[in-house]
Amino acid sequence: MNTYAAAARAFPSLLKTGLAEMVSYRVELVIWALTATMPLLMMFIWDRVAATGPVGGYDQNAFAGYFAGTLIVRQLTTAWVVWDLNEQIRTGSISPALLKPLGPLWLSAAENLAAVPFRMLVLVPIITCICLWRPELALGLAWADVPAAAAALALGWMVYFFIQVCFGALCFYTEQSGGIYMGFYGLFTLFSGYLFPLDLMPAGILSVVQWLPFRAIIQTPVSIITGQLHGAAVLAPMAHQLAWAVICAALARWSWRHGIRRYEAYGA
Amino acid sequence: MIEVEGLTKVYRSPKKAPGLWGSLRSIFYREYKKVTAVDQASFRIAAGERVGFLGPNGAGKTTILKMLAGLLVPTGGTVTVAGFTPSERRPEFLRRITLVMGQKQQLLWDLPARETFELNRALFDLDKAQYGATLDELIALLELEPLLDRPVRNLSLGERMKCELAAALLHRPDVLFLDEPTIGLDVTMQVAVRRFIGEWNRRNGATVLLTSHYMADIAALCPRVIVVASGQVRYDGALDELVAQYAPDRHVVVRLLRPPTAEEAAQSAPLSQVDGRMEALVPVSEVKAVVDRALRTLPVSDLTVEEPPLEEVIARLFAREKR
Repeated sequence: MNTYAAAARAFPSLLKTGLAEMVSYRVELVIWALTATMPLLMMFIWDRVAATGPVGGYDQNAFAGYFAGTLIVRQLTTAWVVWDLNEQIRTGSISPALLKPLGPLWLSAAENLAAVPFRMLVLVPIITCICLWRPELALGLAWADVPAAAAALALGWMVYFFIQVCFGALCFYTEQSGGIYMGFYGLFTLFSGYLFPLDLMPAGILSVVQWLPFRAIIQTPVSIITGQLHGAAVLAPMAHQLAWAVICAALARWSWRHGIRRYEAYGA
Repeated sequence: MIEVEGLTKVYRSPKKAPGLWGSLRSIFYREYKKVTAVDQASFRIAAGERVGFLGPNGAGKTTILKMLAGLLVPTGGTVTVAGFTPSERRPEFLRRITLVMGQKQQLLWDLPARETFELNRALFDLDKAQYGATLDELIALLELEPLLDRPVRNLSLGERMKCELAAALLHRPDVLFLDEPTIGLDVTMQVAVRRFIGEWNRRNGATVLLTSHYMADIAALCPRVIVVASGQVRYDGALDELVAQYAPDRHVVVRLLRPPTAEEAAQSAPLSQVDGRMEALVPVSEVKAVVDRALRTLPVSDLTVEEPPLEEVIARLFAREKR
C-alpha cells in the first residue's frame, strides 16, 4: 500500500488528535506562542534606529510592516519536532509510535500544524495593536498574491520541519542533539531575516546567505505577505524554497532511515 | 509463525569513570564497552502458541521481544515473524503484530483513551465498521465503558493497562508480544488482564509471547516456556516438564488430631514435626509410600501434597546456571 495515500487518508484524524492535544495544553500553547515574539522586540529597536531617517531603505513604517510580517511568519512556520524527538528517542518513549504503519513523523507534523489556528488567535490582537501604533505600516498583500503567500508559508514550514527532523534524528547517534540544534538556531536567527531584513547585510555576506536555507523559512514568506515581492518576482525565491524543501526532506528521510537502525529502545 | 536462528544483540555502552574527573575526561575521550544482551538464541513458535519468556532481570527477554517486534535491529542471526523480517518494519508486518510494554504507554496522556483508539484507527487505516466491531468487543471483554471518556492521566494503573491492551489490539494482530503486561497491578487486576489475554487467544487464535516476573501469569497462560539467562536460551519446552526437571520433590504436610507419640513419629519418617504438624520434602517416586505410611501410623486430620511454587523452581534453575 502506498504510504502517502495512507497518510493522506489518516491526516485529518491526526490533525484532529493534534488539535485535541493543543486544546488540553491551551494555556501552555499561548505562553509558548508569546515567547516567540522576538520580532516585536526587534521592531521596537529598529523603530528607534530609524527614528532619525530610513536605514537601508527601511523607514519606521517599513520596519513595522517587516516585523509584523516576521511575527506572523514565525508563528505560522514554527515547529518543535526536534525537542520531541530528543526526548522520545533518549527515553525510548517513541517505541510504540515506531510500531505503527504510519511512522511517528506524520503525527509530529500533524501536531505541529494543529497549533497553527491557536497561534493565529494569538497573532490577531498583537497585529491589531501594531496596526494601531503604526497605521501606515507597510503590510500590503494583494489578493492575487495570497496563493503565493500561502505556498511560501507552507514551504517555509516544510524546510524548518525537515531540518528539525534531521537534527532530531541525530539523537540516534548522539543521545542528545538539542545542543547541536541550538548551533543551527543561532545561524537561523542571524541569516533568516528573523532579527533584521537580510538586505541590510553587507553585499558580500548576502551573496552567500541567499543560497543557504535560512531565508526560505522567514525572509521569503515575509517578503511576499508584506507585498515587498509580488507577481512574477516571487518565483525565484519560491524556487529556492522548493529546492531546500526537497533537499531537507530527502536528508530527513535518509537520516531517519539510517538512524533508526541504531535505535536502542531504552527504558523498558 | 516465528523462526529465530542464532539471534544476537550486542549493545555499545559508554563507560564513564565516577566523579568530576570522570565527567571531564568523558568530554574528550569516551570509552565504550560491548554488552551482549542476546547470544545465539534459536527457537521456533507455531501459530496460536502461548509462550512465556522467563529469566532474571537483564537476562535478555525484553531485548528478544523488541527484536521480534522490529524495534531493535539484531547484531547477528535471523528472525522471521509471519514471513517478514521484523527490523524492516514494513507496514504489512506492523499490521500483523502488536507489542504491549507494561512500562511504556502509547495512550495519549492528557486525552481520553477513546482519542488514542481513534488515532490508531487512522494510523492502521482500519475500516470503520471493522474498527467499531472490534472496539465494541474489547469494551465488553475489558469492561472499558466507564473509562473511555476520562483523561488517561486520571485512570489507575490497572485501568490504563486495560486501555493499553485495547489500543494494542484494535487492528486484530496475529502475534501479541506482551512485555510485563501486569507489572505493578494489584492481584485482582492481574487476574483480569490474564483472563483477557487467555480469552483473546482462544477467540482469535493469536500467538502470544509473554514476559512477566509474576509466575502466576506464566502458569496461567503459557503451556510452553523459554528460559533465558545471560542472553542465552537455557530451556525451551513444556512448563510441566520444567517443573518436573527442577522440582523433583513434593511438600507433604500432615495435620494431626492430636500430638503423635514418639513411636508414631518414628514410624512416619521422613516426616518430622514442625509447628504442631508433620511435614517433609519427598522425592516424587516416594510420595505414595510416605503418604500410605502416614495414613496408617498417624492420627491424620488433613493431608496435602504440594508442588513447590514456580518462583522456587525458577530460582533453583537460575542457581544451577550460576554454578
